[in-house]
Amino acid sequence: MIKNRFNGPLEQISTHCWRIPRDYKPNMRVEGLIYASEKLIEQIRNDQAPEQVANVACIPGIQKASLAMPDIHWGYGFCIGGVCATDPDKNGIISPGGVGYDINCGVRLIRSNLTYSEVQPQIRKLVSQLFRYIPTGIGRKGNYPLSDETLIEVLLQGPRYFVNQMGLGCPHDIEFTEAEGRLKHAQPDKVSTRARARGTHQCGTLGSGNHFLEVQVVDHIEDAHAASVLGLREKQICILIHSGSRGLGHQVCTDYLDQFQGLPQKYGIQLPDRQLSCAPALSPEGCDYIGAMRAAANYAWANRHLLMVQARQVFEDLFRKSWEDLDLHLVYDVAHNIAKLEHHHVDGKGTSLWVHRKGATRAFPAHHPEVPSAYQEIGQPVIIPGSMGTASWLLVGQSGSMDHTFGSTCHGAGRQMSRSKAMRDAISRTGGRKKQMGQLISRELEKQGVIALARSAKELAEEHPHAYKDVDQVVDVVDQAGLSKKVARLRPLGVIKG
Amino acid sequence: MSPFETFDHTADIGLRVTAANLSSLFEDAGRGFYSLIIDNIDAIQLRDERSFSLSSGSLEMLYLNWLNELLFCFETELLVLTDFEIHLSDHHLTGTARGEVLDIRRHQTHFNVKAITYHQLQVSRTHQGWLAEVILDI
Repeated sequence: MIKNRFNGPLEQISTHCWRIPRDYKPNMRVEGLIYASEKLIEQIRNDQAPEQVANVACIPGIQKASLAMPDIHWGYGFCIGGVCATDPDKNGIISPGGVGYDINCGVRLIRSNLTYSEVQPQIRKLVSQLFRYIPTGIGRKGNYPLSDETLIEVLLQGPRYFVNQMGLGCPHDIEFTEAEGRLKHAQPDKVSTRARARGTHQCGTLGSGNHFLEVQVVDHIEDAHAASVLGLREKQICILIHSGSRGLGHQVCTDYLDQFQGLPQKYGIQLPDRQLSCAPALSPEGCDYIGAMRAAANYAWANRHLLMVQARQVFEDLFRKSWEDLDLHLVYDVAHNIAKLEHHHVDGKGTSLWVHRKGATRAFPAHHPEVPSAYQEIGQPVIIPGSMGTASWLLVGQSGSMDHTFGSTCHGAGRQMSRSKAMRDAISRTGGRKKQMGQLISRELEKQGVIALARSAKELAEEHPHAYKDVDQVVDVVDQAGLSKKVARLRPLGVIKG
Repeated sequence: MSPFETFDHTADIGLRVTAANLSSLFEDAGRGFYSLIIDNIDAIQLRDERSFSLSSGSLEMLYLNWLNELLFCFETELLVLTDFEIHLSDHHLTGTARGEVLDIRRHQTHFNVKAITYHQLQVSRTHQGWLAEVILDI
């Protein structure tokens, strides 16, 4: 018997949707709905993520359902891959756990006019230079240290600060970022001194764990028209960056989880799990967290912006052309750990809801006012990174997401194996040769056409594709469920990790 | 037998510490925490010293906040502490710790600990003394 296996009810209600009924546990205000396939739902049963979906269904003000995407796995209170929307006018809550520690962890995709045949002969050199220049991993400080004063501007403005005050990047970079890279009404004064201290040297750093920067090639186009609008074609080289708000965001979450400990009791909220700690969104404490969360989100967008700027510099040095001449323009940037006040329809009536996406991506359809004008016809790009060495996908939002999931879709492959198991698996695949593990895994990836550079062999082992669900299966579900539509698949050629 | 060990969690890592008394529990937790970040913590030289004083409403929160202090120290000063002398009284911790600033030429880094979570957090008595478990976001 698998430890931590979910043995509760999962009723299949459609080809790609399973329900946890409202009577599964007391205090469930809505049902739980998990988007999956028959194969994925069996993996989903292997940890307590469905129990967490049921727990979230108990939070005050939750609307329609507690939702989960096909890449869900066990998290803290809220599962990773979960979506819930609360109505602030019905005592709806805001919860730091419903956003996650890495506030505005997200992804950005940058295109180029380089082709596979131009880059492949130099891929090893390119990856080495990216690895040397872009700060990754433990102990590497950023190339853009910030004074506290400047940091506060970044918390307010996001990447606009670097574009407008330092000439790093261009207005196009802002236009093609979700929320134009800035949540309004951010409150830097609600971000603790401690969080700001963690943020001063980390803006423009990649981090580690499952964060990475990849050089990719478009190897399959599913929707030729949408790809054309997005400026993508087969054999084109792109860059994918996956990172978040670094230590600043983690500290904001830590600070507010601490402050929220006694609040459910104060506001008469009963919770099945203390990690669902929350407060009414309109309460003073809720407003404070929202102000800080917005600031951290803006920092994350600034972080990914500077990572892009640095990647552009490496490409400029190697290919001896300006980044503009290389067409290293931003396709889009999406957040996948965030809470936003959005307009949605519930029972036919429009209302403003706090949509919590923890390991889930916004997926607004065509003609939504928040989609950039250049993409109005096709919908908002959704970037789904695979794991190191496997494909990533670009999709566009569909109207089904607005009907069923508060404009949301999946965020990635989702882990299916703990780091220790991934390590044991790697050691066993290398015949027990622990010391040669790094070399052997690198060679394994190289045979698959991927040059991977990481700070340690253990990092490569723990982030090996075997540790993750199959991203193709995850993406197939959201495509077939009408939440977002496949446009192009991108295959990695080189990856750098912390 | 090591006073600390890791245990599995799908996306992150658990730290389990056992000790005969509470002071040792917190000291071993400190060493266990840094052993997640640095593989060869025995290579850490004792060049710098820091003092700590913190209080919390419960033993569990004190344990969580203690690890948060160490995380903050590491994130802002890159300080790796391995030699601890901790005193506890009524959910109040005082003590000193010694170590040195991270040197990536000598120290082999592993996990980048981002946060200390409440997930499965426990500090409890056992027949042999004390047990603490916590999941760290990495």
